[in-house]
Amino acid sequence: MTPGTHDPQLRSLVDDLLTRSALLIDRDDLDGWLDCFEAESRYVVIPRDNRDRGFPAALIHCDNKARLIDRVACLCHANKFNPHYDRHIVGAGCIHAVTDGIATVESSFMIVQTTLTGVSTLFCAGGYEDRIRVTGSAAKFVERVAVIDTFSVPTLLATPV
Amino acid sequence: MTPDEIWPRNDYSRIRFDLYHDPEIYRQEQARVFRGPLWALLGLEAEIPNPGDYIVTYVGETPVVLNRDETGGFNAFVNRCTHRGAEIVREPYGNRADYTCIYHSWCFSPQGRLLGVPFMRGVSGKGGMPPGFDISEHGLTTLRVECWNGIVFGSFSDHAEPLADYLGPLMREHIGELVAKPLKLLGHQRQRIFGNWKLYLENVRDAYHASLLHEFNRTFGLSRLTQVSGGYMDERHRHSLLFQYAGSDEDAAARRAYESVQRGGYLTLNDAEIVRFVKENPRGITTRIISLFPNAVFHQIYNCLGMRRVRPLGPDALEVVFTMFGYQDDDDAMTAHRVNQANMVGPAGLISMEDGEAIELVQRATARESGAAGVVEMGGVGPMPNLDTRVNEVPIRGFWSYYSELMGIEPAGAPR
Repeated sequence: MTPGTHDPQLRSLVDDLLTRSALLIDRDDLDGWLDCFEAESRYVVIPRDNRDRGFPAALIHCDNKARLIDRVACLCHANKFNPHYDRHIVGAGCIHAVTDGIATVESSFMIVQTTLTGVSTLFCAGGYEDRIRVTGSAAKFVERVAVIDTFSVPTLLATPV
Repeated sequence: MTPDEIWPRNDYSRIRFDLYHDPEIYRQEQARVFRGPLWALLGLEAEIPNPGDYIVTYVGETPVVLNRDETGGFNAFVNRCTHRGAEIVREPYGNRADYTCIYHSWCFSPQGRLLGVPFMRGVSGKGGMPPGFDISEHGLTTLRVECWNGIVFGSFSDHAEPLADYLGPLMREHIGELVAKPLKLLGHQRQRIFGNWKLYLENVRDAYHASLLHEFNRTFGLSRLTQVSGGYMDERHRHSLLFQYAGSDEDAAARRAYESVQRGGYLTLNDAEIVRFVKENPRGITTRIISLFPNAVFHQIYNCLGMRRVRPLGPDALEVVFTMFGYQDDDDAMTAHRVNQANMVGPAGLISMEDGEAIELVQRATARESGAAGVVEMGGVGPMPNLDTRVNEVPIRGFWSYYSELMGIEPAGAPR
């Protein structure tokens, strides 16, 4: 039987994934963050206006996990960007539906960036639109679409959102 | 400062750092450059396909509405009510039959004519405009508008040469190839960089940096100084074309050439689709960055096609709006390929995120300098030739040459 949107076990696993995936980025553990995704999964960071107007172009658009792994590898080994700390504040997830073991979940986030000399600014506000596969004891992303309100991106967007 | 004080060398091979910071220079640029005798990019016909469609864009810091009227014609006006100076259009894009300011409901036509003033004759013989008030004298400030191959340009000046002449044959040829078929918009990316707008325009004319700053380029051979490549300009050196042919060098030889630059091993990809090139243009150019003075860039990076509008936001900041496009006749697989390759550009771009950082590094480190200057000698000094190499900064000197002409600060004996 598929659990419903109010199933406490499912809710607890979803909450844990939302919180843990954000903390892993903030700890700069991007390999750990990659493990939050299923082997077949998708990750997109798209400006809100593109999403609203039906435009497909995004800022980060990884249609499969191999591309997501490549993105993280480029970031860690090839790209140069502003050294900084990230701090995610993620709101509670709203579970809209559960179908065939996949929960459709929406949440809001803010990311504060701090320079290495301790100056913080709001970097990005937006919403996560997730599809999360929940099995007996684990939850992983099948799809994570980060729709960013702050789509006039200050400086650059390197670290995943 | 006199021109000879501004320019330590008259061939623009020294760029004083205060040119990126001085508020008085910035103020003069708004008038002399952005309202000078030239054409600024406004937008694409494909952004406003239907009568009534409009977008808000910027020429310098001036907000400009570009619209399409009921006859299909293009119009552009300053987005500022002639009554009290309020911004008229508040949404960045949309569709409307007329333009009514919310403050006092003055209403303008798509062409910028003042159509109506509420209570112009007063009420019961009291109040209202004086008898001499003529609404035909209070239209919006309009720009001259010309459309070339689906790209719309505007000018504040009556002295701009015809648009096709302003672009010149080289730019017409290369941009023309990118817009040879009806366009399909794929979306926008926006980025705010905390640096002077001229640093961005130098960056897109800087042939030298692409494989040094952007390791992805040298790793996967999108752009390497060992390739068949070049930096060309129009006759007046105001626009520039940087290009190369991927595959024209050998990986092993290129890696030997970059031995002193590469730190650590080279990356490999699990999914190489992002660096797959589908030949679309007859000459097989794989990457070209085309910069149009004063505010436009067109790029082809493999099959990622795009336009960039650059807008200054005071001396210390700029905004770039990237508009990605494909063609109406692209199939779904080609659209998906372009969307995948859009990962390379914009604020999160695998070969462009570094530009935001590099520009801010310069802006921060040069603040409050007086007299110190950067060095631009790659590719030679003196005359400003087209070179068949990207070990070349000559197009940056070309930018400053035309800039100085507009600003009235050309040093004695300067090349043009």
